[in-house]
Amino acid sequence: MISRGPRFIRWPRPGGLFTEASSRPQLGTVPGFRDLLPAEAEILREAQESLLTEMRRWGYRHVITPLVESMDVLDLGLGVEQRRRLFKFTDGHGDVVALVGERTVPVARLVAGKLRSAPLPLRLCYAGPVLSTDESRFQQRRETYQVGAELVGASGPVADAEVIALAARCMEATGIRRYQIDVGHAEFFHGIMDAVSLPDETKSAVRLALAARDFVALEALLEGTPLKSAEHELLLKFPALRGGPEILEAARALVRNKRSEAALGELSRVRELLVDHGIGDVVNLDLGAIRDFDYYTGIIFEGYGPDFGRPVAQGGRYDGLLARFGRPAPATGFMVQLDLVSEMLTRAARPPALPRLDAAIAWTGSGLSSALRLASTLRLFGMRAVVDTESRSPDAAKDWWQAVGAANLLYFRDPPTVTWTAAGKRGRTLPAEQVAARLAGGDA
Amino acid sequence: MTQQEPVSIAIPTGALLNGALDALARSGLARLSAEELGRQLLAERDGVRVILVRPADVPAYVDHGAADLGIVGKDILWETPGSHYELVDLRFGGCRLVLAVPDSSHLDGPDTWPPLMRVATKYPRTAGAWFESRGQAVEVVRLHGSVELAPQVGLVDGIVDLTATGRTLQENRLRVTAVLGTSTARLIANQASLKTRTAAVQAVVAKLREAVGNAG
Repeated sequence: MISRGPRFIRWPRPGGLFTEASSRPQLGTVPGFRDLLPAEAEILREAQESLLTEMRRWGYRHVITPLVESMDVLDLGLGVEQRRRLFKFTDGHGDVVALVGERTVPVARLVAGKLRSAPLPLRLCYAGPVLSTDESRFQQRRETYQVGAELVGASGPVADAEVIALAARCMEATGIRRYQIDVGHAEFFHGIMDAVSLPDETKSAVRLALAARDFVALEALLEGTPLKSAEHELLLKFPALRGGPEILEAARALVRNKRSEAALGELSRVRELLVDHGIGDVVNLDLGAIRDFDYYTGIIFEGYGPDFGRPVAQGGRYDGLLARFGRPAPATGFMVQLDLVSEMLTRAARPPALPRLDAAIAWTGSGLSSALRLASTLRLFGMRAVVDTESRSPDAAKDWWQAVGAANLLYFRDPPTVTWTAAGKRGRTLPAEQVAARLAGGDA
Repeated sequence: MTQQEPVSIAIPTGALLNGALDALARSGLARLSAEELGRQLLAERDGVRVILVRPADVPAYVDHGAADLGIVGKDILWETPGSHYELVDLRFGGCRLVLAVPDSSHLDGPDTWPPLMRVATKYPRTAGAWFESRGQAVEVVRLHGSVELAPQVGLVDGIVDLTATGRTLQENRLRVTAVLGTSTARLIANQASLKTRTAAVQAVVAKLREAVGNAG
């Protein structure tokens, strides 16, 4: 690998911030980080609220864990690759700390630590940014937003199905209309790897090829082996091992190992439960799901939205994690990529209608008092109102109204009268006390 | 989900274009001439949409879901790993990624390499990783064209570059001292397309696989 260090130091050093050629400071963001402007920020926030609201409906309690975690904690929970991608620094005491790259490990720390005496199962949810030094991972973004839910202390298909159904309802709650959930099982893969007769060296090469989704390399590796079992065939067909319940029957006829058979049984049960949850029609079975198989121990799943190149939600069972923090417990959960959800909503055929300002309130002279009173009343009715900061002529007020982009202009004059102009209509002059009632009544 | 949209496939300009068009024609998916596609960059035939892009851009189109499938040289995939599935070796466009040094150079095997090797390449990631895996310190100079020139003017000790016939190397008085890898055209697929449009995408994959005689 080439040293990647210098690539990230594009941010001007303090001395370089102001140059003689241009006296303006550089106002961009650090590469990989970006601002969300009002329209985008509002969509993202609303999506986050709908996700958390849905999770709370299912009895998941919201927790907020810090943005910074100690490396000692993260070392326990993360793999080598994930650790490499963390933004790390030392705090004032010389301890190495990092900005979180995901939020399941902090929740595990919480459950094994402060919540140690809380009875299991625990249902927790979270929302927040996660950071990664690797800008190639998600559209050159190094800061993304995740909302997730974890069900700790419950094993078995009922718990698995609950979390999958919750993930599905969460996608619905954000307003995504067409979506599908692919459900697979990590043990199906582990069973196959147990059963294939390959030298250990080849097996680890097979794992690497699968992790890289490189089926050309996989084929080359398996072609060279003398003993070909049904498991060989299954590995080669991995990307195509998906469909409805019939795929389980087909796979059952092929596998000859207990681990994979048990996985198929569990998948079948989870599918039945998902039908009872009312989401049978959006569920596909995917025996070839490729995920981090060192981390996941059971049912795994991914949520896809329409016409979007990557999964929006990801999750599964990770029964090994809590033990590393000293409180062994089965666990399952998922997270939703909030950035992807809001991007999908923004690009939908009918993007969500952004609430616009209801009233721009301008004034001149002593009209200010009435203006402020009206604004309070409108806000009390739940409307969005902005009051001008300076006195203006009627024409200047109209320009200001356009710039603000509100549905109505209310102009208060010196002898207390108000002119009400709605978009595309002529202005009407009427008593101030009537305006609030008529605006609130939807009379625009 | 609706399956109405045509399956889109990104194919590269340059050396692999004719092979890609040939594979599409033999699989019965689309008969297109290079001239026709070169004019429009985008053509649709019987439920298949063909997009013509620069070779290095194919993974980007596929990873972001702008194309369901892509045809791309393995050399590009070494350099830009992504979230796509690599499904089929299409067995055309064969070439080697080699380390070449001037004919006059004393450099040969690893034991003759200097403590810090300087190489010029269009494949900085692949070259860097290859030397590193051999415990060799390397300074990679990234160039965008005419890489063969760099060692002749003393910029670097050698170059890491792609060669099919070796002629360009010979003409520039360079000789091959090591082969980093062998590249052929590959069929790659977007991960979500495989999941959300399985039937349509797999049908196209099967036709291409058959056309190149790769039954696996």
